[in-house]
Amino acid sequence: MSALDLLPNRRVEGWRWSDLRAAVGSQLPPIASRPERVPPEHDLWSQLGAEIIFADGRIACWPEEEVSGIRVFSKTASEAGPPRSSPNVAVGQFAADSIEDDWFPIVGSTAQHGVVVVRHVGGSTPQMRAARLGVQVGAGESLTLIEVFENELAGVTNTLMECYVEPGGRLNRLVVQPQTEPATIVCTGQAFLGEKSEFNQFVFSAGGKLSRIQTDVIAGAGAKARLNGVCLAAAGLHADQTSHVTLEAEGGEVRQLVRSVARRKGRAVFQGKFLVERTAQKTDAQMEHNALLLEDGAEVFAKPELEIYADDVQCSHGNTCGQLDEQAVFYARSRGLPEAEARAMLTRAFLIEAIPDWLDEALHAEIEARVSAWLEAG
Amino acid sequence: MLDLKDLHARINPEDGEPSEIIKGLSLSVPAGEVHAIMGPNGSGKSTLSYVLSGRPNYEVTSGTATLDGEDLTGLEPEERAAKGMFLSFQYPVEIPGVPVMTFVRSAMNAQRKARGEAEISAPDFLKKAKQISALLKINPDMLKRPLNVGFSGGEKKRIEIFQMMMLEPRLMILDETDSGLDIDALRIVAEGVNALRSPERSMLVITHYQRLLDYIKPDKVHVLSAGRIIASGGPELALELEKSGYDGVIAGAKSGSAA
Repeated sequence: MSALDLLPNRRVEGWRWSDLRAAVGSQLPPIASRPERVPPEHDLWSQLGAEIIFADGRIACWPEEEVSGIRVFSKTASEAGPPRSSPNVAVGQFAADSIEDDWFPIVGSTAQHGVVVVRHVGGSTPQMRAARLGVQVGAGESLTLIEVFENELAGVTNTLMECYVEPGGRLNRLVVQPQTEPATIVCTGQAFLGEKSEFNQFVFSAGGKLSRIQTDVIAGAGAKARLNGVCLAAAGLHADQTSHVTLEAEGGEVRQLVRSVARRKGRAVFQGKFLVERTAQKTDAQMEHNALLLEDGAEVFAKPELEIYADDVQCSHGNTCGQLDEQAVFYARSRGLPEAEARAMLTRAFLIEAIPDWLDEALHAEIEARVSAWLEAG
Repeated sequence: MLDLKDLHARINPEDGEPSEIIKGLSLSVPAGEVHAIMGPNGSGKSTLSYVLSGRPNYEVTSGTATLDGEDLTGLEPEERAAKGMFLSFQYPVEIPGVPVMTFVRSAMNAQRKARGEAEISAPDFLKKAKQISALLKINPDMLKRPLNVGFSGGEKKRIEIFQMMMLEPRLMILDETDSGLDIDALRIVAEGVNALRSPERSMLVITHYQRLLDYIKPDKVHVLSAGRIIASGGPELALELEKSGYDGVIAGAKSGSAA
């Protein structure tokens, strides 16, 4: 069996609207050699915290000493073992099996809140990039992780992030995946949440040949997860945000809000599932996905799911899919806004409601600017 | 200012047959005057306001509508706004995610751009907003909230007038601005509207009831029925309507003895 056959196609449940096998084509691109130079700093991201850079999937830069509330240690694949099982881990497992370096970084928190920026840097030459990263947030400690896929990532990029949050710890994770036309990107995140820990995630994804940002959360007693996302599919592009939250013990709380927008010939996919085990009484979980089809010929596929085995829980899911409110468009035009501007304003407002408050002002502004730029690009 | 001559207009719904609502309406509102349009439900009052402001699917089929001699019918809603037209909606629309201030500033700057004027500076805009919100007794916090989301009926109407005063239009169409307002709010809103009265500005006040006209004194009152003006007169016509109802005036018009 070739490596290609490990990739799911549309006949695999969960990949029906995101045919990874078809996107990759007849063969996997070659694996890059070790980069000779550290990629240049990024105007924004490099300023925000300690940096880990994967250049074409190879580790190019990491903080060697403890800096500003984080430490990075390394493990070989055999030391670490395979990633823990979770519903969407298969392609992530493939990433773990494909890493070319003989070690991978594990980020740890310290008592001081730290910010770690992980940049996936590539180029216009099609490459196979696989990256694995571990995150450990200690009891009562906190960490912010910013994972950025940079604009040029031709070929296939497959990343796995395994996050362990100990009791009372807090992990904030921001994923930024800009529009990258020739790129096939699968980004798998796992969050294992200890008792009363907190996981806040925001995913901005603007699609590619195929883009799938998938997150598995396994929540312990009283753990809180907030999963938000903005999912944008421009003409000819595909953007998929998939998540699976397993509530294993009592008193977990989940809030999810994802907003998707697709243009003509763009495809946005949302798959969200909450699995509430029999042991997870008093779970309080709400899922909401809203999508806008901006033009005829846009596609949105949504599959919100609740699977509940406990009898004393509050769970809900909402899913809407539609077009802009024409009354609102006319109202704005009657006040003087040109039609295109009125539509952009309303779409922008729809999207930015999903940007969570835990992002600081600068990051909030950055995401808003990216939403605006996407809308202006038409 | 506004001249309508034998105007016919219909609504073309997305799903359904077109229906003619305005059937030969003629009306002239000179600069500086306030005209009231009264009429029973279904007479075409709101349709007229939408036709004038250029709502999609509201189509003028014959006759003319001009603003200062310029044909309105070919203009987009935003072009009409830039030329100074403002419609205060009967049912203002909620716009989640866009604060009132952001909305008004975007609208103001879009209009200015269309007229070839420079954008308003942030301090000037804030100063003006502060003055006008104080006049209309609008809590400044409200201006930071998403437009009309969760606002009461009365608050929405106040915000309509706030926008109108900010944008300083030349032709104002008030579509049932009195509905949803209690008597105190009505007085405040009317004060705002009256503050805008000037020799260069005209108003078309669409209303069911005489009540609003106690506060916004019209120069002329027109009665709209079945898509046409069937009677015109001074402010006393509104009082007569209040007393004898629309039926009497409509019957009178049919027998050829309009007031």
